[in-house]
Amino acid sequence: MDDQPLLGGALRTRLGRVDGPGGLAGLAGWEAARRLAAEVEGEPRIQRLQTATAFGVYEGLLLGVMQGRRLYRVRPRQLIVATGAFEHPLVFQGNDLPGVFLGTGLQRLITLDGVRPGRAAVVVTNADHGWAVAQDLLAVGVEVAAVAEARPELPPAAEALAAAGVKCFAGATIHDARGRRHVEGALLVRLDAGGDPVAGSERLIACDLIAVSTTPEPAGALLAQADGRLGYDPALDAVVPQALASSVHAAGAVTGLSDLGFALLGGRLAGLEAASALGLGGGEASRMATLRAEVEAHRARLRRGLRVRQLTSVPSVGRKRFVCLCEDVTEKDLADAVREGFDHLETLKRYTTVTMGPCQGKMCHLPAIGVTARLTGRGMAETGTTTARPPVQPVPLGVLAGPHHEPVRRTPLHARHAALGATWMDMGAWKRPLLYTSVEAEVRAVREAVGVIDVSTLGKLEVVGREAAAFLEWIHPGRVADLAVGRIRYRVMCDDAGIILDDGTTARLGEDRFFVTTGTGSLEAVGQWLEWWLAGTGRCVHVADVTSAYAAVNLAGPKCREVLARLTDLDLSPGAFPYMAVREALVGGVPALLLRIGFVGELGYEIHAPAEYGAWLWDLLLDAGREHVIRPFGVEAQRVLRLEKLHLIPGHDTDALSNPLEADMAWAVKLDKPDFIGRRLLEAARARGLRQRLVGFELLDGVVPGEGDAVVADGRPIGRVTSSKWSPTLGRGIGMAWIPPELAQEGVEIRIRSAGRLTRGRVVVRPFYDPDGARLKS
Amino acid sequence: MSFLVPCPHCGPRDVYEFRYGGEFQRRPPPTVSDQEWADYLYARRNVAGPAKEWWYHRQGCRRWFLAVRDTRTNAVLEAFWPEDKPEGAG
Amino acid sequence: MWQLFRKTPMWRPRPFRDRYDVVIIGGGVHGLATAYYLGRAGVRDVCVLEKSYLGSGASGRNTAIIRSNYRTPEGVSFYDESVKLYERLAADLGYNLLFSQQGHLTLAHTDSAINGLRVRAEVNQLMGVESRLIWPEEIQRLVPALDLSPRPRYPVLAALYHPPGGIIRHDAVVWAYARGADRMGIAIHPFTEAVGIGTSNGQVTSVLTSRGEIRAGVVVNATAGFCSTVAKMVGLHLPIVTHPLQAFVTEPLKPFLDKVIVSATLHVYVSQTDRGELVIGSEIDPYSSYSSRSTLPFLEATAAHTLELFPCLRRVRVLRQWAGICDMTPDYSPILGEVPGLKGFILDVGWGTYGFKAGPVAGKRIAELIATGRTPELIKPFSLTRFYDDTLVGEKAAAAVSH
Repeated sequence: MDDQPLLGGALRTRLGRVDGPGGLAGLAGWEAARRLAAEVEGEPRIQRLQTATAFGVYEGLLLGVMQGRRLYRVRPRQLIVATGAFEHPLVFQGNDLPGVFLGTGLQRLITLDGVRPGRAAVVVTNADHGWAVAQDLLAVGVEVAAVAEARPELPPAAEALAAAGVKCFAGATIHDARGRRHVEGALLVRLDAGGDPVAGSERLIACDLIAVSTTPEPAGALLAQADGRLGYDPALDAVVPQALASSVHAAGAVTGLSDLGFALLGGRLAGLEAASALGLGGGEASRMATLRAEVEAHRARLRRGLRVRQLTSVPSVGRKRFVCLCEDVTEKDLADAVREGFDHLETLKRYTTVTMGPCQGKMCHLPAIGVTARLTGRGMAETGTTTARPPVQPVPLGVLAGPHHEPVRRTPLHARHAALGATWMDMGAWKRPLLYTSVEAEVRAVREAVGVIDVSTLGKLEVVGREAAAFLEWIHPGRVADLAVGRIRYRVMCDDAGIILDDGTTARLGEDRFFVTTGTGSLEAVGQWLEWWLAGTGRCVHVADVTSAYAAVNLAGPKCREVLARLTDLDLSPGAFPYMAVREALVGGVPALLLRIGFVGELGYEIHAPAEYGAWLWDLLLDAGREHVIRPFGVEAQRVLRLEKLHLIPGHDTDALSNPLEADMAWAVKLDKPDFIGRRLLEAARARGLRQRLVGFELLDGVVPGEGDAVVADGRPIGRVTSSKWSPTLGRGIGMAWIPPELAQEGVEIRIRSAGRLTRGRVVVRPFYDPDGARLKS
Repeated sequence: MSFLVPCPHCGPRDVYEFRYGGEFQRRPPPTVSDQEWADYLYARRNVAGPAKEWWYHRQGCRRWFLAVRDTRTNAVLEAFWPEDKPEGAG
Repeated sequence: MWQLFRKTPMWRPRPFRDRYDVVIIGGGVHGLATAYYLGRAGVRDVCVLEKSYLGSGASGRNTAIIRSNYRTPEGVSFYDESVKLYERLAADLGYNLLFSQQGHLTLAHTDSAINGLRVRAEVNQLMGVESRLIWPEEIQRLVPALDLSPRPRYPVLAALYHPPGGIIRHDAVVWAYARGADRMGIAIHPFTEAVGIGTSNGQVTSVLTSRGEIRAGVVVNATAGFCSTVAKMVGLHLPIVTHPLQAFVTEPLKPFLDKVIVSATLHVYVSQTDRGELVIGSEIDPYSSYSSRSTLPFLEATAAHTLELFPCLRRVRVLRQWAGICDMTPDYSPILGEVPGLKGFILDVGWGTYGFKAGPVAGKRIAELIATGRTPELIKPFSLTRFYDDTLVGEKAAAAVSH
């Protein structure tokens, strides 16, 4: 993958002849690039991703790659990084003037864009590459007014330029750029052995272009992110990879050495090593060893031949000496910061924002190190580097986000609700009908005749196995093992700190078979909780999530038996099918599981049928109930109905610190059982006494408080309202609230702060509606 | 997609397919002191280094297993079914 | 003007001594604030140990949001004192902290989220903290760029508006506390790692560091990310699990957002700094780790969620991402104060994702505890013993993703 439209990298921008091996010698750089690219393009087993930027390496060698508006995630088994190197600007007075360019930037303008970048240039360099830039400028008709080479001796490449009449200065560099709105001249100066300008050596050269060509700095950020270690190498005057993680290889200028022959050789070695690590051959060990030795010899030869002179800034004064061109951070800013004690590169960066601009520090990283090293007298290596954080190139949020998919879960009856014009609510990912007509009408239907609600979102687990009963007994504070086949029991589940996790019902379908329902949002957690306690125990218990296999409705109301009787042969008489019993039967010809339970406080049947027959069953029920004016009811009516019965909803009326004793569910906790999950702290809670209690309340004033409003005493919050509704059945506002235990007695008056005003409530500890459950059991 | 977790059933998969289940510990017998019980509930070794942990493959085999992971690097050193090493490594 | 141009070190290297009255482990906002307030209380034979550079841990990696709209009365009182200290801090320390009390909005996208916010609004108001539920019309006025249409999967239904909340220049707070402590003669030792703690007869006696041993009778664990490691030096296992928390910044934009926006449902929060960058973060990573490497899934998911709120940001580019590591307690409240059975070992830990907000108040009250020997009422609810007498402080609902 390559971030350019054509393969070939920096070679594409070189006009000069290369002296590479293998038939490339004598070609212009761009020609050699084309030749090499053709080899890759002609190999059908190489997939190319062009104009694609690998912007980060993450854990597990995961690459983030951006190509236009597309994001790729690539997880290679072997990674070869050949990202090349870039030049960095030099710090000198006026280095932000238009007309000051990097040498490689000029080469791109010339070769890729066909632009002659100026009339007369001064080339400032401390590396061989600067001389190639000078040649390229000459080749396109730019006059090269002078080349200032910071190294004490001119390199061999200078000869040709000198022969062409170019003034070449050794041991010299730029002191400042002159000009008002654009470069008009360059003041060159000789450097003494310590790198300081020699007074009186200044020489002004007229030009409209200043090419700055510095020691190539490896583009090593991806290597660093891939767990490689980068450090300053004085022999190369660059921050180079010093150690690579396994499965990661580097080739080319990113290793710190820019040389075509070396790049080709190193590239071959990296490719073969990656291939052999993948077990794809790559050559015999001896051949690899030879190649490795050859690369090392080449590397040593290049290093020996290198003449470097570290140059990041030319000492002088002036306000226009920019280290960070993105953030306008000058050398003086850095000097001030160091004097103030920000002498560590990381704190210096945070204080001055050097390297924190949109170029991610590519332009100013090395200059910042150089300036800091000089200011602190610590040397480049000791000054260190900053962390190479992803992304290496800025990535648009839209690319990262991609098309956004936020799943929606719909019940098997969704289309029916839509046809009825339901108002929807979100419950986790589920869409549920909140309301069809009006709360009053829906509540009244259930209380006076019959209503039906889609409860398909309830979690449904089958727990099966020889030890299922014993396991459920141990994991619940309530009793399960003594539940008779065909019977149901309410269940509350706690963690080992006695905190309520979930509630629902347990129906025993057989000696070894239980049907367990959970709250809509807690299914996954409950399923995993059961599996977790089973993991590794070898117990004969199997848990299967059958939630989406079933559609479920709750048919409730005094007339519901008559409605259901029309659809089933099952004996529905209270004697044959009592409250808290479960039966398997055909309903409208559909095999169904019927649970006689009453969350809403009326005679009711929770009917679970295969999901694919859900809509069929729903239609049958509505049809069978027409005579009794059956009404579908939504979550809002259900919440009113259950509140009239003071049935709590975990997570709504309880929180992460609620235990069942305080939530008024002591009846579901059997502390006389031996060990069970949660027992220890529930026993402790009982022994020390309750600290708060969940109670019902009715409102003495007209206002119905909001759910979440505070219960107050003396202007302090002492509790909170968890549920609060207008009860059409009772004709007054009712609710549930957590209050201090001393207030939790029938008739005690409490004050609730609602929208800034106080309203009065009266504590009610028994259900408002049908407190003895006569209607449930009818 | 981030680091890989080698599920003993499904093989190496992205960590985001899994639910992290916390460090491995045993539930003490109910006879221990209050202090020991509270330690079981709350105190954690929270190791910076190789730690034995529970993982659940949510988007795969839906099974719990144990893995030893270096929490400094997120490298998973081994992964196994709890029944295969009943005594575990720690 | 003269003051402006005089460049003096913010803090000075001081000789490394082999005894101090108080050793503070951790050179972040908590450790340095503790040192500063100790100095103010006249306890000045103090040193702060930092294993890297000052503010290199969570203090330099958080997203610098300050607020006090918590859920429990204990939490609200505590963080409210911190906000008040922050309001005066620039004047106290003589340093511009760029504290912008621009207002903080926690968005609700579901009915149950609204109820949760109402709990907080009520408790906040009763405790004297400005905080109220507001509805889409007002939200739109405050944040014109926010998408309040029914288009998103989870449309915005309401928000908890907390006008005193805002953002601050986090590094500046660290540096200014360091300077304040330094001016009172307190020693700050960066690049000095605590590697062991000596005890004798239930009393802390020394700290072993990478530069040698220091004898001290009081040792404060003011670390984040490594508080378990430090606690283990005295054989203590804390109720802490360490998780990474990630964030990123975008390229600078012209000012378009002058409120901190938080959405727990979408696991995202967004603010715009004075530099124009958007700082965007998420909830903690779903697994424990000490690795502070960023992840790509975080970047993708958080970008997607940001665009659910602000579709106009589609072309804005991410500049860099990073991670910090957070010490999570079971109830999302910190652990402050003494440890039963071990004299002189003081905890200022468990700061999860909300430590920076509390730097001043924790520093001040821990300093008070050390100076007077008495635990201030304000921090009593946050003692380690709450896990042993079952009196947790339930801030989970208010702290999760609510930065």
